[in-house]
Amino acid sequence: MNPYSPALAWQSRAILARHLRVHLRNWYTVTLPPVCEPLIMLLAFGVGLGRQIGTLSWNGQSLDYLHYLAPGMLAYTAFMSSFFQSLFAAYIRMHFQKSWEGQLTTQVRLEHVVWGEALWAATLATAYAALVCVVLVGFGLAGTLTLHWAWLPVAIPLLFLAALAFSAAGLYFTAILPSIDHMTLPFFLVIMPIGFASSTYFPIPDVPFLSTVVQFNPLHQLAEGLRALLLTGKFTGSLIAAAGLCGLLLVVLIPIDMRLLRRRVFGDR
Amino acid sequence: MNEGTTPRNDHVLLDAKGLVKTLGGNRVVDGIDLTCRSGEVLGLLGPNGAGKTTTLRMCYGFLRPDSGQIRIAGHDLANDGDRARRALGVCTQDNTYDSDFTVRGNLVQTGRYYRPRQGDLVQRIDALIERFGLAPFANQKPDTLSGGFKRRLMIARAVVHQPRVVFLDEPTTGLDPQARVAVWELIHSLRAEGLAVVLTTHYMDEAARLSDRLQVLQAGRVRAGGGTRAVLGDVVGEHVVLVAAQSPDAGRVMEWFRNRGIKPAQVLSHWHVPLDASGLAAFVAAFPDLEYEVRPPTLDDLFLALAHETTR
Repeated sequence: MNPYSPALAWQSRAILARHLRVHLRNWYTVTLPPVCEPLIMLLAFGVGLGRQIGTLSWNGQSLDYLHYLAPGMLAYTAFMSSFFQSLFAAYIRMHFQKSWEGQLTTQVRLEHVVWGEALWAATLATAYAALVCVVLVGFGLAGTLTLHWAWLPVAIPLLFLAALAFSAAGLYFTAILPSIDHMTLPFFLVIMPIGFASSTYFPIPDVPFLSTVVQFNPLHQLAEGLRALLLTGKFTGSLIAAAGLCGLLLVVLIPIDMRLLRRRVFGDR
Repeated sequence: MNEGTTPRNDHVLLDAKGLVKTLGGNRVVDGIDLTCRSGEVLGLLGPNGAGKTTTLRMCYGFLRPDSGQIRIAGHDLANDGDRARRALGVCTQDNTYDSDFTVRGNLVQTGRYYRPRQGDLVQRIDALIERFGLAPFANQKPDTLSGGFKRRLMIARAVVHQPRVVFLDEPTTGLDPQARVAVWELIHSLRAEGLAVVLTTHYMDEAARLSDRLQVLQAGRVRAGGGTRAVLGDVVGEHVVLVAAQSPDAGRVMEWFRNRGIKPAQVLSHWHVPLDASGLAAFVAAFPDLEYEVRPPTLDDLFLALAHETTR
């Protein structure tokens, strides 16, 4: 069976709707962190630390740290939220709550559960990124941040694609982690290296080897692409590279996720 | 045994042929055939590892058989999976309800996993909550319920979309006698509605009371099938002789059995020996002064016999 077509099936939407329903029941508590976090980060790092840093150079252009940080935070939110949701929350549902097994005794099949989890993680991460956009607009209204605001809506579908790819990576670890005690491994092995080598929070040092390697980091391309889009209003090759790398991740990881999760859930081939 | 107590429809709703499944290099199911008709309860029996749950999991589409064919209400599970799955409901061995929802929310959510949707889902759920005695807990999370009510919720979830075949994997394991009887009544009512019910259980009284027909599995194969008497006759024999293990003649008696190729099973203070009519006559003639008890075989003897065969 084609592993991609179930993404559009009603069963995958039913799983997505299930997660949305559970999430919206507690909307007042679950919305607080994604609003507060960027607010605190922008104030503490963008404004507070930014005053100590002064200006920094980006693509030959001088800019203050708050302007450097704002697009990077958008990219990092999509990355972190989707990875966390598809790894930690999906693992809990699969292993402890056994809600996957309950779903799999209905007309829902494993490929729908996998796509439902990936779509949900991407939707939630995009929603969180949209909340970051709202916070950025607030800073803009306060006169501390100037971006090409008209391009902000263009970022949303790109963030969704990136979050979907990162959720496929999260599900890979959901499939292979022997127990919840091993949950820290992907954080050390994936999230931290990708996050640090991504120019989301600080520019990549001008080291030849590192400069080459980060070109294959979709988070780096996304952060750089969004920075160019929102600071200069230009749609650069970084965004195309980010979309390409994320598409590639999806194409490669989704069939692997399904195969590994089939083995994990059914003990089957 | 319910044989003959309710008119049975001859319409075969579960038809599984030649099921084979290998898991972890072991052939767990090795050529099993199953059928279950409308208004019939089929009891699947067998010791641990006999292949009951794996067989059930293949029949409800959770596992793919390596070979064999499964038809649910006429729909091939492999080629017409959506229709086949629409026609079946499952109560798994573990409680796999959705703990993020209330009791009512679980039934609503389960209904959303089926197409075409149940037309009168809200009324159907209200009726199920009432019928399954879940009304006082309808707005509570299932984790707060007692074991018996959790199982009732699981069975209600299995039938919320009005399936034609329902699979119940050890539905009463771990319940107190009162809760077990309540679940039995529900299963009985499903049967009366005309559903085909496939049931696995370790409780022999439960199998005997609920099932119209038994299928005994052993090491992934069907060891015997039919009514209780037929199954007991096939596997155990016509009589069971109980000899006290502390009897001064016990050693001599056991040797007599072993010489005839019969290996008795010891349960607590007694040896249990299954015998046919001629074997019993020979035993009586050989030990005229021995104190012993003779009784008809039960399904417990069947389990002992199967366990004994498996370990031999």
